[in-house]
Amino acid sequence: MPADYTSPTLLLTTAQKIPTTLSLTHPSLSPLNANTPPVPGTKLDLPLWLAEMLAVSKPAGPESEALATVDMPQALGGRVMNALRAGGGSVELRGQAMEWYGLAASMLELFEDEEVASVVCDTFKTRALLISDRAQNTKTAQQQGGDGSDFMGGLDETERARNYPLPLIPSSLRITTSRHFIQIPTIYAGRSYFRALLVPHPCEYSGSNECG
Amino acid sequence: MSQRFAELGNKLIRDAKRTQNLPDLPSYQSETVRATVREVRDLDRELEHLKAPFAGSFDPSSEPAIACAMLVNHLSMRRNKRCLLAYHRVRSDRLEEMCWKGVDILNSEQGADGRGRGENEAQGGSKSSLSPEEEEYVRQYEDLLAAYKGQWTDIDLTGSLEPPKDLFIDVRVLKNAGEIQTEYGAINLTKNSQFYVRQGDVDRLIQQGYLQRLGWT
Repeated sequence: MPADYTSPTLLLTTAQKIPTTLSLTHPSLSPLNANTPPVPGTKLDLPLWLAEMLAVSKPAGPESEALATVDMPQALGGRVMNALRAGGGSVELRGQAMEWYGLAASMLELFEDEEVASVVCDTFKTRALLISDRAQNTKTAQQQGGDGSDFMGGLDETERARNYPLPLIPSSLRITTSRHFIQIPTIYAGRSYFRALLVPHPCEYSGSNECG
Repeated sequence: MSQRFAELGNKLIRDAKRTQNLPDLPSYQSETVRATVREVRDLDRELEHLKAPFAGSFDPSSEPAIACAMLVNHLSMRRNKRCLLAYHRVRSDRLEEMCWKGVDILNSEQGADGRGRGENEAQGGSKSSLSPEEEEYVRQYEDLLAAYKGQWTDIDLTGSLEPPKDLFIDVRVLKNAGEIQTEYGAINLTKNSQFYVRQGDVDRLIQQGYLQRLGWT
């Protein structure tokens, strides 16, 4: 069993809901539709693991239509994208989806939307800089008032994780006892691959309780 | 009847994720686990019910709607299985980690049990956060570990990986533990007293939680 199979992070990512339109239905699917038998064309919010499989299943043969079609969830929709283009730190990703980056990666595997991919990557980079800035200057951030905690409160789960990558800022580099290999995600044409950078995690030396 | 397709599994996963960030193991969710297993059985029964009219020769292209229902059932069963495995894996990984750190899991559980059972007898149920299977697992794992360590008596494989900074350390007593013998004489451990003692003597007591180091952390 590969380690990913039992990873709670991945399981939570795939448990997030996305809007699905069922094209073929059956009465036994009623529990999904508030206990009424769904008709073809019903729109539901199904968890990703279910919606993904329905979208790629064609029981009647390769030429027929799939069991369902999925749309981009609102967390990756037009409004959010525009807000992120304006400024990566302006959106509370946690409010959109707990595992926003995980959701984006899964949706991009289904859709291959280069626009969305580039916005997600740019957002990650911008926010990474902001997070490391906050973490290294916690005193200044606190003095500047509530703005700091709003941003930190809106981080999604990947940004809060202990192994979160930070960009290398040579002027403020401190050698800590543990070094993590950091990866900046690059999502291209639906396949994500990572480049490695070397960065210490802020929570270890800033003493900030905002991470992890 | 099939429930809301792996909602219970989700609950287990959230608990697993929480466990990863907690210092202690939360209690075993036997109710949720049992309900999830029940859901899997219900889904299986529904699947059999859907398959029954076809007596072995089911052609998905002729009955795509039934194929859809079967697929959803099957996926939910797999999802539930995955959630159960993940939950148990996170817990057993944590238990193994605690064994390697030398934490006395079973005795501290039974200690809590002893005090708890007296108070909770009316309500029933023990306060232990491990299921009986987990306790058995820990017991056998500790035996395995002891057998492994026994091969090298010079090295304590479960000891601390940090080299000591000084021969003596400051410690504070957390619980009353009576008297201990050191080569410098007997020390009486009463709660909240502090001592300056040799590290080697008190390592075990720190691991068991009777003493707390001061200064280095």
